[in-house]
Amino acid sequence: MNKLTKEEVLHVANLARLDLSEEEIEKFSYQLKEILDSINKINDVQISTDELFIAPWTNNTTLREDNYKEYTMKEDILNNSSYRFDNFIEVGGVFDE
Amino acid sequence: MSKYTATIGIEIHVELKTNSKVFSPSKNDYNSTANTNICEIDLGYPGVLPTLNKGVIMSALKACLGLNCNINKKMHFDRKNYFYPDLPKGYQITQARTPIGCDGYVLVDNKKIRIERIHIEEDTAKSLHANNKTYLNYNRAGVPLIEIVSCPDMHTKEEAMKYLERIRETLFYLGVSDCKIEEGSMRADVNVSISDNDTLGTRTEIKNIGSISNVGIAIDYEIKRQEQIIESGGIIEEETRKFDSATNTTVLMRKKETGNDYRYFPEPDIPYLEIFDDMISSVKESIVLLPDERRKIYLERNILPINVEKLINNKDLSDYLNNFIETDINFKIASNLLLTDILSYLNKNRLSIFDTKLSINKFNELVTLLSDGIITNKIFKDIMIDILESDSSVKDILKEKNISLETDTASLEEIIKKVLLDNEKSVNDYKAGKENALKFLMGMVMKEVKGSFNPKLVNETLIKMCKKM
Repeated sequence: MNKLTKEEVLHVANLARLDLSEEEIEKFSYQLKEILDSINKINDVQISTDELFIAPWTNNTTLREDNYKEYTMKEDILNNSSYRFDNFIEVGGVFDE
Repeated sequence: MSKYTATIGIEIHVELKTNSKVFSPSKNDYNSTANTNICEIDLGYPGVLPTLNKGVIMSALKACLGLNCNINKKMHFDRKNYFYPDLPKGYQITQARTPIGCDGYVLVDNKKIRIERIHIEEDTAKSLHANNKTYLNYNRAGVPLIEIVSCPDMHTKEEAMKYLERIRETLFYLGVSDCKIEEGSMRADVNVSISDNDTLGTRTEIKNIGSISNVGIAIDYEIKRQEQIIESGGIIEEETRKFDSATNTTVLMRKKETGNDYRYFPEPDIPYLEIFDDMISSVKESIVLLPDERRKIYLERNILPINVEKLINNKDLSDYLNNFIETDINFKIASNLLLTDILSYLNKNRLSIFDTKLSINKFNELVTLLSDGIITNKIFKDIMIDILESDSSVKDILKEKNISLETDTASLEEIIKKVLLDNEKSVNDYKAGKENALKFLMGMVMKEVKGSFNPKLVNETLIKMCKKM
């Protein structure tokens, strides 16, 4: 098998809420397979520990003291949204919460 | 009796009461004006990095220890991927593989309800739906949560409700959350299945239950719904349902996504977190007496069971009373005092016991005067406001109010003499050995003195005078 099935591509697209054309489905069925194959090569690497390697260093994480800071660019970051209503960010209705 | 046994497991999300959010320094206050407690981390801007809040780790540790969990000494976080507007990063940071706590329990009527795991995660934005639109408030995005997952150890709605109540009061006493179910700072998802044999049935998950009593109603409804489906030959589907408080029913939300779709993987932006023993012992030391320990002490000290529960529900009064645990003060009288007139006074004036002038010494003095019978409950009621609002000692207040305690025997003897002359038959009955006659006479005297005399003194004087008659 050198490509994913149409159902597999549509399933992945659905998780990302993407609509794909027939052409795109065909194209991604090959591309996604290539990506999976590349990633799967990692499974062949011989490692000496069972421990998950989660970050590129092994130091303990640094904890932040529990103090809050007022962020000064609130308006700027909200303004990047397409629609605002009152103080809210507005998006198309999603009801199956 | 139904031939089916229900099996119930509960997942509880609890918002932790910290100053800042779990992965960003924004203020943790969901009630502010919408979208004011936000920063680029909460909104999932590209390139931002999470920084783990120490306060969250300490609070979560406290919750785990208070709920008898083992602590995972080396943990990491995971990304749970899903695409939804309330989660602009496209993933929620949670702990899938290394929850901070596991294998805990709470006792419900002496039965252990096991806690499978407690993990830390971030809350999502709050969505409001109207006019075919969704409005998002990111004040809640990144608010620290712990999720407490029980084992499926409960079989009745009563057990489920008591389990929730135990968790709620424990976390409240630990001070890690305000645990307001009605306001959403504690939320329960309930898994219910039924079976008439040894294998578990297919479960449904009920979300959106806004109070402990509604948990009971939702479980009742769901058990009946599943019974009807099975009895009519149908199959229960694994699905997520929503509790509808308007109709007291559960309605279908969605067929359940499978775990694989979340594509969990370790959060590479937060390295391993190791919990050292000194951190655990410092958290242990900060844990106050928890509700079950308090119940045990109160019952041993002869407080009525109903008053024990009232005390547990009023943490301030319970904390106040606990100042006397090492003393031999009469707890029964002390709890009665706190839970009747003093509690009504506090409620009426919206005060805490700690806002009043009732110092530890003064309360000790008051309870001793009452338990030694030196003042009556009636006298206490008359001077309660002075006791709570002035700095004077109880004895000084009594003096100011001209309430005689032990000295004014002459006027007391006068009153007793009159009662005895009016009730000669009872006096003779008492002399003939009828103890009830003395009680009657005592009642008559107390009525005459309107309760304002030390009953112990009245009793002694009465006996002495009866014998002389």
